[in-house]
This record gives sequence, structure tokens and C-alpha cells, in this order.
Amino acid sequence: MATTTATVGVLAPPSLARPSRSLWSNAWWKLRRDKLTIGAFIILLILGALSLAAPLFSDYVFHYRFEQQDLLHTYEKPTFENPAYLLGSDEIGRSQVVRLLYGGRISLTVGFVAALVNLTVGVSLGLSAGYFRGPLDDAITWVITTLNGIPQLYLLLIIAALWQPGPLTLIVIIGLLNWTGISLFVRGQTFALREREFVTAARTIGAKDRRIMFRHILPNVLPLIFVLAAIDIGAIILLESALSFLGLGILPPTPTWGNLLTNAVSYFVRAWWLVVSPGVLIFLTVLCLYLIGDGLRDALDPRLKTH
Amino acid sequence: MTQKRLRTLIAGFAGTLLLVTACTPGGQGNASPTPTAATSEKPQQGGRIVEATISDIATIQPILSADTASSRIINLIYDGIIQQDYKNGEPKPKMATFSISQDGLTYSFEINAKANWSDGKPVIAQDWLTGIKAVGKSQKTVRKSNFQDVEGFLDYCVGSSSSGCTGTAKEISGVKIDSANPKKFSVKLTKISCPAIIDLNGYTLPTQVFGKYVTDSSKDEIDTAPENTAPTVFSGAFKFSEWRKGDQVILNKNPDYWQGAPNVDQYIYKVVANQTAIANGLKTGEITWGNIQPKDLADMQTVDTIKITKYQNLGYTFISWNTLSPTVPAFADKRVRQALAYGIDMDQVIKAVVFGEATKQVAHHVPVQWAYPSSPLEPYKYDKAKAQQLLTDAGWVKGSDGILAKDGKKFAMTITTNSGNQERETLAQVAAEQYKQLGIDAKSAPEAFQGLVTKLTTGDPVIEANIIGWSLGGDVDPYQIWHSSQIPDRAKGTTGFGFTGFKDAAMDKAIEQGRNPTNGDCSTAARKAQYETFNKILNENQPYNFGYANNVLVGAQKTLQAFDPGSFSAIWNVHTWWIKQ
Amino acid sequence: MRDFIIRRLVYAVPTLIGISIITFAIARLSPGDPIRLFTFGIKDFTQEDYLRLLHAYGLDKPMPLQYVDWVTNIFRGSFGESLIYHRDAFVMLMERLPNTLQLALVALLIQLIIGVPLGVLAALKRGSWVDGAIRIFGVAGHAVPAFWLGLILIILFAVNLRWLPSIGMLTVGHDQWDIADRIKHMILPAFVLALTGIANYSRILRTETLDVLAQDFVRTAHSKGLRERTVVYVHALRNALIPVVTALGGILAALVGGALVIEQVFSWPGVGQFTFQAAIAKDYPIVQAGVMFTSTLLVLSYLLRDLTYAIVDPRIKVG
Repeated sequence: MATTTATVGVLAPPSLARPSRSLWSNAWWKLRRDKLTIGAFIILLILGALSLAAPLFSDYVFHYRFEQQDLLHTYEKPTFENPAYLLGSDEIGRSQVVRLLYGGRISLTVGFVAALVNLTVGVSLGLSAGYFRGPLDDAITWVITTLNGIPQLYLLLIIAALWQPGPLTLIVIIGLLNWTGISLFVRGQTFALREREFVTAARTIGAKDRRIMFRHILPNVLPLIFVLAAIDIGAIILLESALSFLGLGILPPTPTWGNLLTNAVSYFVRAWWLVVSPGVLIFLTVLCLYLIGDGLRDALDPRLKTH
Repeated sequence: MTQKRLRTLIAGFAGTLLLVTACTPGGQGNASPTPTAATSEKPQQGGRIVEATISDIATIQPILSADTASSRIINLIYDGIIQQDYKNGEPKPKMATFSISQDGLTYSFEINAKANWSDGKPVIAQDWLTGIKAVGKSQKTVRKSNFQDVEGFLDYCVGSSSSGCTGTAKEISGVKIDSANPKKFSVKLTKISCPAIIDLNGYTLPTQVFGKYVTDSSKDEIDTAPENTAPTVFSGAFKFSEWRKGDQVILNKNPDYWQGAPNVDQYIYKVVANQTAIANGLKTGEITWGNIQPKDLADMQTVDTIKITKYQNLGYTFISWNTLSPTVPAFADKRVRQALAYGIDMDQVIKAVVFGEATKQVAHHVPVQWAYPSSPLEPYKYDKAKAQQLLTDAGWVKGSDGILAKDGKKFAMTITTNSGNQERETLAQVAAEQYKQLGIDAKSAPEAFQGLVTKLTTGDPVIEANIIGWSLGGDVDPYQIWHSSQIPDRAKGTTGFGFTGFKDAAMDKAIEQGRNPTNGDCSTAARKAQYETFNKILNENQPYNFGYANNVLVGAQKTLQAFDPGSFSAIWNVHTWWIKQ
Repeated sequence: MRDFIIRRLVYAVPTLIGISIITFAIARLSPGDPIRLFTFGIKDFTQEDYLRLLHAYGLDKPMPLQYVDWVTNIFRGSFGESLIYHRDAFVMLMERLPNTLQLALVALLIQLIIGVPLGVLAALKRGSWVDGAIRIFGVAGHAVPAFWLGLILIILFAVNLRWLPSIGMLTVGHDQWDIADRIKHMILPAFVLALTGIANYSRILRTETLDVLAQDFVRTAHSKGLRERTVVYVHALRNALIPVVTALGGILAALVGGALVIEQVFSWPGVGQFTFQAAIAKDYPIVQAGVMFTSTLLVLSYLLRDLTYAIVDPRIKVG
């Protein structure tokens, strides 16, 4: 029954330093058949591409700058007649669709970059703690349990209340706080992998610690880190919107999906459609990311529990 | 010392129980019939009023209170000796009548014979003294300076050495209680001070409760008195019953209220999350009355159970120009500031930002204050051409990129404002966009209030333009904001609210004469003349774009009768309110 | 087992020290000044008054000294006096704690009552449309911004349909013990707060039930001729519930944190809302007490989780 404990090591052919191609191709084969995950991936790509091309859209399609106002056309309903007001206009006549495109840039960037920071910090600390053990592990574990001891959303909200964040500060704050889960996971994996034959083998032929960690252990952990990353990005996007709701997220005039939604909520009785579009985008993006996370996990190792 | 205005006002207390209109304790004849009570219906007894608020009260101790929520409850349970007229703010008698001596230094008060505490004891001069002594003893009050002109207060009060408080005396020498009549007393000031009368309302506290905290041997026990959160004896229309922290404060009617028992049984001050929740609560009937936001007005007007009352806010929202800014030297030029006034379509902005529910403001005092100038001011009607002309006159010429420049330096500015205030954030964005049209590289930047406040009051040079609002309660004296002594100076380490850095000798003189007139004339007419000059100078120099004065929009259930809120008080006649079944 | 408990309790000490340092640091090192904040616009307020207040609240001392003062006072039973309310911060938190606990416990109950059967159902009906629907719900429940859902539900059920109240814990003026009224007020916030948890539990239970169903002992039990239902409910579910217990600690954290947002949306006078508003007002003692208290609660709940885990799953090495 002990064999049911899920570790990546089980999948890695013991004699190989790197996971075989078959792990990846096997996963890819499974993924291709998973229509839900592929669909989610495509939607996410489209959303990313649209956001990336926001300036092009604002210049050549909508002919409307994202900060451009028109006080005579406020709370316009969505219309096909004026492309800029495709999704309506806000309380000072700005184009909702253009702002959503620009907002996507910030929201997605914050999600991806903060998750990247999480991964960098989480993986390197988890790897070191699991590999070197001893006092270093104790210290890192102490930091993790301490950070985990403070309700995360709570801590973030209070930090944000005390320091009003811009996009960069928000990335730094979330990036430096949200890595503990990843770190614990990597640490656990490393602990197990360290004792495997291929690591011992590498050590006997005189491989350095760094080489073992990055060439032998990390590649085995990496696939599942993608799973964690997808979920992490989604969680960060949600976090950004919750912070915005409390007035502590990235502030207007910089548009983000979170602050567009928050702003619209207070004008709900005047223009309910302004609430729908950012809400749907957040929901859709996060849903896609979670579905991708799920799909990847199933493809890589259906027995793995990331929760 | 001519033209002393001897004010001996006798409040008309007779018949307050029967006639709603008679209960304005006004001796000045401005008691107007309240619109909702115009019918001769007899008030029904019973029921409950639920007022919505978005912040919980902090304390029920008047000397410690510094927030509007707390003062609401305090005003419902403790009556003052004087009050401000609810419409124009002039001081009027409440529990006491008052008169001022010929030399303008001694104020005499006589507390109404009927005024009593809820435990049956009469309200006496000693109770007023207890309040002032409590301020003297407290270490956490923000009101000490209000009484520094009372003779002997500085000898009595306890504080750090720099504050002038010595704590050497056992009594405040300037306060004299009539030995024959415990309801009569007088207060002597060390210098003539026109705003003093409103400060001298003080805090009339029940000595039988708080006396023990202001004995000769007490220190600052008043700051932590249990009665600060659960008071036991009252002089107001309602009695404190329970404070469910973070949720609501429950008050029951005071059947022995000296102006007559209230018609309703209960007054509940209910905390809700935000303005939207107030609107929702009004619709569902959970809330009897509360302030609503302009954006909800149109929607609320369609609800047939709700009545909307509007009155002008006692304050205004403005954009301040830091005339000392090292990064935007243009603000030092009067023509530029005038251009910034002409160059923004404020009427359009008001429409966009507050749905038209505000009045454009071009000087300091707001129309509901008696000090509002009667001679016309420059209205700064929107005139883009004139704005551009003024900028050209000041040497600012548009470059190839369309941005104004002078001596090779571009005209760029950042308009900061406190985040979380949606109205101001929108205003900042709209203003920035309009100034861009003038060729100014303007951008808006919201910032947390906490940090912003420190920057403003300490004169941090990073502040260029800033949007914030003033709330102008109390006396009309603008000293704190506009006197040159209030300009914060980093080098000297002084702080203040004069964060535009604008000063003018003639304006200083007008402010001083309106506050401490050398001829001792504190009459409204004499002071008004000074403020005429003061507002004129501000109007011409435009250290602020004075923005606008909002309308306060109050939503109330139609069943609520005799409800007549005004700019200076919404609850001045609360004991006559009644609920129609 | 006793050694295990003691060891874990001792381990909690450095964690709590770390938490106290972080708490103090984030509160104090942030820009802005609480005295300036709550005296802004106060008439005749002078620099002398400012210095007096700074001194009265002990904010004029060097920062490390203030930290030491704070910690020593905690051991004396005081988290310091609120700058705004002039009362002990901890006492004020305790006044609001029952409100948060009510909400969190009801939400937890909802999660278990709905989430667990959903997960088991999905596993039993594996591959069917029921399974598919529950799986999508399991992901979607995580992806919805909770505050947004809360506001939409308020507008729908409270404002438009008027089935449920929109604000607070009790209809104004109702008796504290009016349970029916209390439940009516709790439905919306507790449901929104529980949503993530429902999704979580349904996912966990689905995976676990599938796992367990595939295991030898179930197959054995099955082959012995026991009825399938008995197999599932008696054997499988007991094993499948272990990760539910493990997840409890994390879910409690999510509840406490999430409650902050939900309390704000529904005007629920709880600890989260209170601490959050104190953070906005820079009322240090309350912020510090709030974070310190919820964190201690969380550390204890992790401890409790490990203990329960050790008890329900004897395979776990104690230690």
C-alpha cells in the first residue's frame, strides 16, 4: 500500500539522469486526446494574444486610446455602430473593450511574472532544503512554516493596505509571499529523489552538488512544477481582483481586470454590462489555467495530488 | 471698542412638545416650518429609526472623539449648551443662553432650568466644567488647543512641556460658577477670539459619572474610563443601550428629555460595508435613512418608498497647486493658475463625476456659510482660448509634440489624490485629460491616504497637484488652511494644512481680523467684510482650483416624518421625528 | 504520542516568534503616520499636540524598543490600546471573534455536507455526465472571484427578489437569539465562503474514492460478496476521508482569509473586516493583534490537523 504514495521518482526510469522522452511524449499523447485541456489552452492563448496586441487594436481597429475620455458619451450600451463601444463605455466615456485589452496585459503579466518569482524562489529554496538537509533545511522550513502560519490572503491584504501597490510592487509582494506551497512540494520530491539510484550513481562518478541538483533532480520535478505554475497564475489573478475590490490593488487609471470589475460594481445599477465583461474574462482565464493544470497533471501522472 | 453686539438670546422652549416648528430653539426667528411636518398630523408614537453608516463609532467619549460616526452618537445622547443653526451655522443657544461682555472677553452662560440628566439630576455649570477639565487631564484628546485662550486653562492642563500646559493649577481661573445659581457661569478669555463661542460649547458631561476622573489627584484616567464606551447618564434625546461592536449602536428614547420625549422608541446606528449597501438597505426597508451617492440617485428616485432630500455639503473638493513645487515651477505664476481655472470645464466635470450633484466653487467659503461673499466673484467660466492666452502670456509655448514648454522645460504635472475614493480618482483622471487638451503633460496618480496626509501636512515637495476635500464644520475661520503661518516648512520642521505655499499679506490681515479683531468686533457683519476681502484674494490668485461643493443626498423612508436635515446638522430636531404607520 | 505533541508545541515557538516579527515589521515599516491620519483637518491641532499624542501612544520610542514592549505586554495579557478606539485591541478582537467563527464553521459544515457526497458521487458515476458536471464545477468553483459572486447574489436575492437580507448578521432590532433570522442572514455569506471548499472537497473525494476503489482491500471485500454499497461506505470512505482531514488546516486558513473579503461584502462584523479596516486606518495595535491572533489560531489548527492525521491514519510515523 505504501507504493501508492505519489512521487515523480516512480515514473523516472532509474538508470536515466533525465526523464525519458517517453514521459513527455506519453504525456503529450494523452494531452492531445484531452479536448477540454486543449480547448482551455487555445482560449488562453487567444486571450494572451489579444492582450499583447492591445495597442494595435486600439490604434487600428477601435481608433480609441485606452485613457481617452468622452464625457458626452458615458454609460453607452454595447453597440456595433461604434466599434470602440463594442462592450459599452464607462463612467467617463472610455472604451470598455480597449480597457479590457490593456487590462489583460497587466493582469496576465502580474499573474505570470509573480508566478515566475514564486517558482524561482520556491524551487530553488525547496531544492536546496531537500538536497542539503541539516541546518539549511531547518532554516528554510522555519521561514516556510512562519509564512504559512499567517493566513496568506490576510497578510497580503494588510500589506497592501499599508503599502498601496503598483503593478511592480504587487508582483514583488505576491512573488515573495506565495512560494511556500511550491517550495514544500519541491523539497518533498527532492528528499525522495536524493536517495534514488541515479543520484547515487552520479555522485559516485564525482558529479558536483550543483550539477546533481540541476541536471538530475530538477528535470524530474519540473513537469509537475508546470502544473503548480498554472494553478498559481490563476490564483494570483484572482488575488489581484480581490485586492482591487478592497481598494488595495493596482489603482486606476492603469486598467486591470480586477479594478475594471471593482469600478463597474459600484456603477452596477447604471451599467450592468460593465460588470459582466471583466468578470467573465477573469473567470474564463482562471478557469482555463486550472483546467490546464488539471489536464497536465492527469497527463503526467494521474495519481498525483497537488492539493 | 465700538459696536459691541450684546447677544442675550432666550430660547423659545414653550410648546416644544406639541408643535414641531416651535422646537427650533431659535431666538433669531429663523425657525422655518419643516417641509415634512407641514401637515398638522399628530405625531404617532413608537417605532424605530435605523440610520446607516459605513464606519463604526470609535468612542462615546466626546473629548476623545475625532470622527463623524462617534459624534453622531454623542450628539444623540449628550446635548450641548449651544448649537449651530442647522442651515447657516450661526451659533445659537441650546441647553444654555449666552451673552458676551462689552470688552468681548467674558462669555456668560445660563443653563435652562428644565435641562436635566436622565438620572433626574439637573444639568449644572459644574458639568460643563467637568468636560473642560477632562480635556485638560486627557493625554489622548485632540481638543486641547480649543481652550488655550481660556484664562488659566494652560495652568490647569497636563501635557508635554512644549504644549504650554503646566498642570500647576487645581482650577481653571477663568471659569467662574455663580455661587447663588449653580446653572450660571462665566468664562473669561485671555484675548478676543471670534471662533471661541463655538469652542466654548465644550463638552457638558455628567459630573456624577465623570467627576471621579477629574479630581485634583487624577491623571489621565479619563482616557480609559469604562463609561467612554458604555455611558450611563444622558442629557440628549436618546439613552445609550448597547454597542454591538462593528455592527450597530442601539439607543433608546430618553423619556425625561428636557425638550420633550422623542416620538420614536429606538434609534439604531447601523454599520454597513459601503454606500451601495446603504442604497440596497433603503430599498429593502432595512434602513430608515442614510446618505446615498449621486450614482445611485437615478435608481433611488424610482423607488416609491424612498424620499430623497438634498442639501449642500459643508465643504468642497478641490485641486491644490503647490506653488513652491520645485518640479512644477509654473504653479508659482498666478496667470498659470488662472489658466488652470479657465481651462477645465467644471460643469461638465461635475456632470461626469458626481452626476451634476454639486456646485462649482471659486473661493474658500461655501454658499451655505454666512461668510460666503455677497459681492460677485470671478466665475472662471470655461474658456479654453482665454486659458491658452494666459499660458502664452506666462511664457509657455507649445512645442512640436503639442506639449507646452518654457526655457526648454516641459509643463508636466502629476495630480495625486487619495485612493479608495472613487469620486476623487475619477476627478483626477478627468482633470488630467482636460489639462492634456491645454498642452500640459498631466497624469493622475492615486495614493493611499495615510501616506498622502503626511506628505501634505509636512510640505513634502514631491506633491505637485493634489485633489482632496475640506469639510468646514464649526466656525467660518479659515486660519488653519490659509494663514501664512500654516504653511508647512520642512527646514523649520513646522507642519500645517497650508500645503499650497500660497501667501498674501492682505489675506493674512483679513484672516487675523476675522479671527482676533483688534477692535474686538466679532459681529457677523464685521467678520463678513473681512472674509469678503479674503475670498476675493483667493478668487483672484487661485492657489486651488476650488473644484466644487457637493450636494449631500439623503435617502429616507417616506414613513419618516419631521425629518429635516441641513448642512450643519441632520439630527437637530430628532426628538420630533416620528414614524407613520 | 505525548512526546509528539510536546515536540510539535515546541516547534511552534520559533514559528510564532517569526510571525510576531513579520507582523510588527509590516505594520510599522509602512509609510504614513496614524496620528497625522486621524488628526487631519482637526481644528487648531498643533505640532505640540502631535508630539504629545505620539508620546502618549508610545510611538516616539525607537522601533526595536517598541517591538520589545509589544511582546512583553502580550505576555502580560495586553496587545496594546487601539489608537482610535482607546481600548485594548485584543478585547476588541474577542468581541468580534464569535461572528467570524459562526460564519467559518457554518461554511465548513456546508463544504463537508455538499462537497463530500459530490466527490463520492462523481467517483461512483465515473465517466458519466454527472461526473463531468461535478468535475467542471470542481474547477469553476475555484475560478470565480468570490466578492463578485457575493455582490451578484446580493443584487439577485436581496435587492431584486428580496428573499434574503443583504447586510449584517441580524435584522436590525431583532433579538440576539433569533436563530431563524440569523440563519437567513448567514445563507449568502456562508455559501459564498464555502464555495471554494465545496469544489476542493469534491475534487479530493473524487480522486481518493477512485484510488481506494482500485485498491486491493476493496476488491477483496468485493469478491467476498459484500454488497457494493457497504464496501464503499464502510471501507473506502474511511480511507478516503484521511486527505479531507489533512486538507482541513489549509481550508481553515482559506476560510479565515476568505472570510475577510466576504465579511467586507456582506457587512459581517467579524475579525477580518475589523483588522482590515484597522489596517486602512493604520491602527497598529489592532492590526498587530489581528494578524498575531489569527496566525496563532492557524498554527494551532495545523498542529491539530497533524494530530488528527496521526490518529486516523496509524500508518503515519509519529514524529
